[in-house]
Amino acid sequence: MNKNEKRTGAKALVESLEKAGTEVLFGYPGGTVLDIFNCLPEAKFQFVLGRHEQGSAHMADGYARATGKPGVCLVTSGPGATNTITGLATANVDGIPMVVITGQVPLSLIGTDAFQEADTTGIARGVSKHCFLVKSADEIPETVAEAFYIATHGKPGPVVIDIPKNCQQALTSAQYPERVSLRAYHPESTATTAQINRLAKLINEAKRPVLYAGGGVIAAGAAKDLAALAHRAHIPVATTLMGLGSFDEHDELALGLSGMHGSAASNWAIHESDLIIALGVRFSDRVTAKISEYAKRAKLVHVDCDPASINKNVHADLGIVADVKDVLTTVLSRIKQSDHTEWLHHIAEWKRLKPMTYKPLHKEVIMPQSVIEAIDKATKGEAILVTDVGQHQMWAAQYFRHNRPRHFLSSGGMGTMGFGIPAAIGAAFARPEASVVAVCGDGGAQMTFEEVVVAVEHKLPVTFVVINNECLGMVRQWQELFYSKRYAGSILSPKGRCKNERLEDDLDYGYLPDFTKLAEAHGAKAYRVIDPAKLEATIKKAVASRKTSLVEVIVEPRANVYPMIPGGKSVTEMVFG
Amino acid sequence: MNETIHRLNCYVENKPGVLARIVGLISGRGYNIQTLNVGPTEDGTVSRMRIDVLATDKVIEQVILQLRNQVNVIEVTSRRM
Repeated sequence: MNKNEKRTGAKALVESLEKAGTEVLFGYPGGTVLDIFNCLPEAKFQFVLGRHEQGSAHMADGYARATGKPGVCLVTSGPGATNTITGLATANVDGIPMVVITGQVPLSLIGTDAFQEADTTGIARGVSKHCFLVKSADEIPETVAEAFYIATHGKPGPVVIDIPKNCQQALTSAQYPERVSLRAYHPESTATTAQINRLAKLINEAKRPVLYAGGGVIAAGAAKDLAALAHRAHIPVATTLMGLGSFDEHDELALGLSGMHGSAASNWAIHESDLIIALGVRFSDRVTAKISEYAKRAKLVHVDCDPASINKNVHADLGIVADVKDVLTTVLSRIKQSDHTEWLHHIAEWKRLKPMTYKPLHKEVIMPQSVIEAIDKATKGEAILVTDVGQHQMWAAQYFRHNRPRHFLSSGGMGTMGFGIPAAIGAAFARPEASVVAVCGDGGAQMTFEEVVVAVEHKLPVTFVVINNECLGMVRQWQELFYSKRYAGSILSPKGRCKNERLEDDLDYGYLPDFTKLAEAHGAKAYRVIDPAKLEATIKKAVASRKTSLVEVIVEPRANVYPMIPGGKSVTEMVFG
Repeated sequence: MNETIHRLNCYVENKPGVLARIVGLISGRGYNIQTLNVGPTEDGTVSRMRIDVLATDKVIEQVILQLRNQVNVIEVTSRRM
């Protein structure tokens, strides 16, 4: 394009998104973004119509988690924008890069309670990394460039660009900038030589060290560097929920998930450790349990790109604000080949005494944990496993042998039910060659089921596995353990679900849809599994079909997630069920 | 730990929404702002905010780090009053 040639702000936006590397745009049209939609037929990227703006936002999030590239989402003003708020909050707390473009009423109407007007930047401020309100078409290219920069630099996060309709229609010759330079935002920080030397000394002298890896390891692309350090220094690796996949769990050094529902070996190793090397974590309350008891025998090193996460929840003896990958590659050459056989023997004993395990409650009824094991076997551990939120999410964390980064996508910090189905669709757009399996509960699946049709429409090889236990399992579990078994609002169907009968007389207890019929109505192939013997074969068949499919698995409703550290207790008070 | 008055001095880019983000960060944690002064500096593109908050040292430390993470915040300093 000629440098002085003018085009509309809407056209400039689409051009800018292309220049920023957008491959897929998720979204939903409406009055204040019609000028932008009018430019989409000529766009170099694909547009994907969600069926609800929350779904579109989670799709962009799933795309970002599967690739590391920002997910991009376009919605209209008012309800379109407010429907993305949960998606923004979900991405914000997990540090997922996203750019969300919202239409706004024309500048002259802002503040007049115009039709579909909402103070989008005001509402989104607390759940996003940054918000822009564009005031003229000339600002659009530069704002897009800055939004992508902010979304991907420092701790990644979602950025909102609110664009009034008149700015989309106005003409501009403004060009997409060659480079972005922000006056006040310079998040890059590197470790000092003294910090690296001290870290190396601590590692070389530790007797019972533990590497503790979070989502920051995956965000930094540092999984290989983590493995290199673990092997050279012979250090076991515990992971957070967001860190699953940063270290191969088939490795004998792997301790698996840490925290409230983490493995005994992982939690006890941290408890007994004399040195914790925490990489890209934020010490969530779901991980530390009782904070005064957390890792109190250990020196704690905390490496993170976010200065505000260091010393926030736990005291760090050595805090390093830097890129995790840089720190790992720099420190590696100063690390002695070590042998912590005695410490690892100790840990192996915990693994033997308290393995991640469960007992079938009834031999003819499928245990929900076995569904996850079946997915692992049926996909040879290669699936991109996407979860919703609740018991099944914890079982997916515990019983799948996570082995590579960006293959376990889950709403960690926000715990957003309804995340699973759309996030899996976003991941399938990002990785069309992969097998994507979304595990959902019967509760969360109903929150965003409308998005299944998007997978069908685009012929995506996604298998939705609905683990149906007839209740909101995690709520039911807490009510069983801490609320005198008073199951208020958590039982979705009282009985008869195993044969999926519709019980006319029991409607006041709640009612579950027939998930297979629901899937078929959306155009997906559907299977129901009741017999434990048919579980793995059915999942295998559904995944191998490379078609959008849903497998409803009727499971034991009384199963609970163990081990568990009850709220406010320490790891020594772990409950094994 | 005791709560004392801390005076935060923030130099920020003079752009719409910056004040709301900073005030939101403090009030969203349940802390009351006792005094708030915002004004221009010699450089018209930079504003100075003086914010007095009653909070513990630990909370203020966190607030400062989070303020510094904001895209439009140039510098934050604080002192106990």
